[in-house]
Amino acid sequence: MRDLLKECLSEESGFVELRYHHKESRSFFAERGRVESTALRKRTGVGVRVLESGTWGFASTSEISKASIQNAIHIAKKAARLSSALRKDKIPNLPKANFAVGDFIGKGIEDFRGRSVDEKLKMVLDIQNEATKQSTKLQSVGCGYSEIYEEKAIVTTDGADSFFSLVRPEFRVSAVAKDEGKLESGSHSIGVTGGWDCLFRNQTPSQISEEACKTAVDLLSSELPLGGLSTVILSPSIVGLLVHEAIGHTVEADFVLSGSVAQGKIGHRVGSDLVTLCDSGYSEYYEGAGGSIPVDDEGVIPTNTVIIKNGILTSYLHNRETAERFGVAPTGSARAWEYGDVPLIRMRNTFLLPGNSSLEEMIANTKDGYYLDGAKNGQADATGEFMFAVQKAYRIQNGKITHLLKGVTVSGLAFDVLQNVDMVSKEFKWDLGSGHCGKGQPAKVDAGGPYVRTKVLLGGK
Amino acid sequence: MDRGSIEKRLNDQKDLLTNLVSKAKSNGIEQVEIYSSYGYSEDVSLEKNDLNNCTATEENMFGIRVIHEGNQGFIISNHIPSLYASIEEAYQLAKSQSTPDPDLVLPEVRPITHQIDTYDPTLDSMGIEDLVGYAKEALGWRSDLYEKVNIDSGDFSLSKGYKLIVSSKGVIAHELGAELSASVMGMGVDGDLVGSFDYDSASGFNKDQFQTLWKKAFREFGDKCMGALYAKPTSSFQGKVLLPPEAVYSFFLGLFIGSLNGTSLRKGKSKMAGKLGEKVASSLLSIWDDPTNKSFMGSTGFDREGMPTSYKKVLTEGVLESYFYNTYEAKKAGLKESNGSATGGAQSLPGCGSKQLQIAPGTSSKDEFFKLPGKTLFVNRISGTKDGASGDFSGVIKGGYLLEGGEKIPVREVQIVGNAFDALHQIEAISKEGELLGESSFVPYLLLDGFTITGVTEES
Repeated sequence: MRDLLKECLSEESGFVELRYHHKESRSFFAERGRVESTALRKRTGVGVRVLESGTWGFASTSEISKASIQNAIHIAKKAARLSSALRKDKIPNLPKANFAVGDFIGKGIEDFRGRSVDEKLKMVLDIQNEATKQSTKLQSVGCGYSEIYEEKAIVTTDGADSFFSLVRPEFRVSAVAKDEGKLESGSHSIGVTGGWDCLFRNQTPSQISEEACKTAVDLLSSELPLGGLSTVILSPSIVGLLVHEAIGHTVEADFVLSGSVAQGKIGHRVGSDLVTLCDSGYSEYYEGAGGSIPVDDEGVIPTNTVIIKNGILTSYLHNRETAERFGVAPTGSARAWEYGDVPLIRMRNTFLLPGNSSLEEMIANTKDGYYLDGAKNGQADATGEFMFAVQKAYRIQNGKITHLLKGVTVSGLAFDVLQNVDMVSKEFKWDLGSGHCGKGQPAKVDAGGPYVRTKVLLGGK
Repeated sequence: MDRGSIEKRLNDQKDLLTNLVSKAKSNGIEQVEIYSSYGYSEDVSLEKNDLNNCTATEENMFGIRVIHEGNQGFIISNHIPSLYASIEEAYQLAKSQSTPDPDLVLPEVRPITHQIDTYDPTLDSMGIEDLVGYAKEALGWRSDLYEKVNIDSGDFSLSKGYKLIVSSKGVIAHELGAELSASVMGMGVDGDLVGSFDYDSASGFNKDQFQTLWKKAFREFGDKCMGALYAKPTSSFQGKVLLPPEAVYSFFLGLFIGSLNGTSLRKGKSKMAGKLGEKVASSLLSIWDDPTNKSFMGSTGFDREGMPTSYKKVLTEGVLESYFYNTYEAKKAGLKESNGSATGGAQSLPGCGSKQLQIAPGTSSKDEFFKLPGKTLFVNRISGTKDGASGDFSGVIKGGYLLEGGEKIPVREVQIVGNAFDALHQIEAISKEGELLGESSFVPYLLLDGFTITGVTEES
């Protein structure tokens, strides 16, 4: 594929970027004693981006031939010329980057190819059947396994020339429990970049299922917490949501240029000394983080970007265009979801570095607060105000966990929450590898970290 | 790409898909359905108060469903030369399963009574140059009227295409469509002060309709961003909330409508199970679904399974009148056939749901809602989470106002917690004015009482 793309570029002058993308998504889902759906999604094409007259032009084609790709280049150039007259802030050029050259074959691909459809169907069906026996209060238990296999080739006129492939499996269980007309949901999901063994390294499918079902049943007897500003200990999945939503989005350089709360804050204190925050294309600490990429969608080798070091904001996340504007090197953060999508600045694996405390010490040191666990969704705002939703909130009183409450929405101002971090645990976990981050287009990301104690606004009664 | 060339492509594809289905049948694959979705679009995007990118994209996606002895395989592909191989692959997926359900079958043909074609040929005279012109105009509005509003992103799109469904049961249906649309997202920025994000959009069948609606949407966007810029935290209180049409539709109503989905009902995930004919909401609330109204965008004569759509009452003065079924869920519910409520497109299996919801206007004037005694929270948007089964929702209010003593005070860092099913009974008034959201669903303002509002400041 690299050869075909290079052939298409052989007569081109100026900047042209070709990105071949083949994606296969398989999913298997069982509920109420039967396989409800099996689906295979295949999408292939080439995205063409040109920089001409200081402006971008983009076109895409699902036909993988020299003629079709060259036609798309022609359309993209025409589009760029049309827009050039209007664009005020022209892009003078793109900076040199640490371009990926060669083939990068991801781990777990053989495993993905070697396991049969029958094996995957049997797993979701067996787990679902097993789960419903856990409690008579369970109304419905759904079990899903999915995997995304991707191949990309990225070639540019200024030096990128790479092919890579990877596979991202996910497993999820969602349960609904009922008692006296009350319905509650519980879910648990995991996702990695790698094979089946990597996916189930920390928890077996049965353990994941038990956790989801237990949450649904336990929540039947739970109440809302008291609303208000509260001391909270966040589990690694919640820390992941916090650093992704509260900080990660505000330091995406395109967002910074639009006026996010992180604008002009490089070198400023934005968190306590205990806070060191990174976003990496690799899987730090241990393998499998769900947002790992060997090459970004501009053909750049991704870095481990230190965003905050001991509380001081040190870097934004960049693509080539914003790196040029800020006079720094690209961080390898440009990502596109499909071949027809233009690469945007996106997070990869976002994490807080571990500290020196233990979770036990943190609970014992908390007189009045909550332990929050089970990440749901989250969103961030330009103001730095974020929200994220949690499944479970455990009340902490006098250094002990007492009872379970419904975990509702948690919000705060990003930098205030980081400033209030006063305890960070030694333990580390990636825990946000399933699902997607949305920013006009989806992206697979991961996030995690240690247990963290801080203050947030907890919604409640 | 004009109407003529799209029609030619559609007709060629009808022949291709019909032949593929026939070939499959002759090879022993009895139940095959192919849903084709073709789209060509030209887009101009904005970023950071400037033009960002011009793009042209074209894609044809195919959703291939094969049912074999009560088991189903589904393949989505954009590769036309290998479509027959994909049918065989879907067949293999179906055959590999061991949990058949005799109710899982493709629907029989039913006549489509509403022919809907939303392709206005005047759009064929337009192109990317016109979109660049609209972008220029919008950037001008920003600099002339809303200098403190930063456009984070925006998009102008001219899209054309068709949907086509062919099945081995003889279902064959298609619709053409074309539209102009635009959206904008951004926030107010004044020095170090940054306001909450806001968003607005507009779309139209033709140039005139689009221009009128887009100008209005952009002004509303600018006003909302400016309103949120000087927002301040407030204290907690129990009281009323005022939901404008967007908030009613996107958050509050979504949970209720989701609970009428045939799949949720069957799986015991819906609080509305067994409530047909019962009063489940305030008598003030009446809702219906009307996908056959040709004046609405997104109207359609057939659903994801090629079955005819129709007008149906959902809620009349608080009494539940119908659920939403596709063919499978209708059979599971003991019905002969679906009520034309299969949802989705080429990239998904048929689901169940509404298409063009309409909420009956009330009798109150919305302006009166802004002058109520006591405290009322105006909820522009909720950034939060909701649980379909329990109906619980919670979230942060964005672009909200505290309405107190005739004053409209912008607030931030405010959370709301509630339950959508309880909230159906908490409706105190509905406005006679409303908006046609997405040019397809009429939604009025709703005033509700009895909510917990959590703020960050001490009670003053």
